[in-house]
Amino acid sequence: ETHFGFQTVTEAERREKIYKVFESVAKKYDVMNDSMTLGIHRVWKDILVHKMNPSPGTLLLDVAGGTGDIAFRFINYVRSVRERQLQQKLKHHQNLSWQEISESYQEDKSKSLGDSQVVVCDINKEMLKVGKQKAQHLGYSEGLSWVLGNAEELPFDDDKFDVYTIAFGIRNVTRIDLALQEAYRVLKPGGRFLCLEFSHVSNPLLSRLYDLYSFQVIPVLGEVIAGDWKSYQYLVESIRRFPPQEEFKAMIEDAGFFKVDYQNLNLGIVAIHSGFKL
Amino acid sequence: MLRGSGRGVTAVLRRWASGGGQGQGQGQGQGSGSGSGSGSGSSSARPQPLEPSLLRFLVCPLSKRPLRYEEATNELINEELGIAYPIIDGIPNMIPEAARMTRKNPPAEGSKQP
Repeated sequence: ETHFGFQTVTEAERREKIYKVFESVAKKYDVMNDSMTLGIHRVWKDILVHKMNPSPGTLLLDVAGGTGDIAFRFINYVRSVRERQLQQKLKHHQNLSWQEISESYQEDKSKSLGDSQVVVCDINKEMLKVGKQKAQHLGYSEGLSWVLGNAEELPFDDDKFDVYTIAFGIRNVTRIDLALQEAYRVLKPGGRFLCLEFSHVSNPLLSRLYDLYSFQVIPVLGEVIAGDWKSYQYLVESIRRFPPQEEFKAMIEDAGFFKVDYQNLNLGIVAIHSGFKL
Repeated sequence: MLRGSGRGVTAVLRRWASGGGQGQGQGQGQGSGSGSGSGSGSSSARPQPLEPSLLRFLVCPLSKRPLRYEEATNELINEELGIAYPIIDGIPNMIPEAARMTRKNPPAEGSKQP
């Protein structure tokens, strides 16, 4: 027995309903994100990747990564860090021969990401399809791969990844405890868990405005833009059902993570939780 | 997404994976002869191969044991449990319910085991 938004359903029903929600919204997912959050979701995701501060050579597992927003930002970030690294290197080598200079340029081209890699894992075929198309369209190919998998039962070996991210996805997982355990398992010792998710607003005035906006505006946007009121009704209900910051922090600690902390964005509308596997 | 027989089969597989193999029969449903595998809307053209770097990380989600890439059928095979995960449009489908049972003939395939 579990919940689907404000309804009570069995676990199996919940999984199926959630699958159908994302199957239905996949093609309009990005457009809806922009409309609902007035583009602010982009800033939240930027903040997440900046907090991650990945260096070239980092292995990222982005779970529930569907349309690729975090993956693309990760690639952009390590690419620019890498460029700066190479520029610094060249600055120190002032007496190079022509041979050495041309060799260094060739090296640049083949390692523009410096061996960084991101694996995007999602349970929903449609979301992955949209993500892959987006990647092709935007020109992302190196260091990026896609896997259809379940966050509660990851098809990855132990101690493999430097960072595990899940952005606006863990709310839709049916057994959050299992997903957290799997996150712990696949991270290398020293690896970092980062979760970006809608959370709870404690400020009473903002809370009232936020509720008003969520329940009056968002489903209407969903109907007008994506032709799907119910999916967006589910979305706003699922946000209310998700545990608040401190409770979620405790769940992450239960999975074995250390130095668990969270950072509220926009007064708690969104929070980034972070933990380390030591 | 969830196949009727697949669910029952998956439950059996989970028990094997956690409790150690009992060498029981491979059960109902798909035989190995059906070359189409899961055949869920796969492209009519040549199937897209898997990103090679992925093989470093991928394991069977049930048993967490290594997989073998079978180029002929474009699948990832778990020899121990006798299941094959399809690769569709270059994306490996690692959901246990979608996996296909492989019926193995001991003399022929047994020799292929690494």
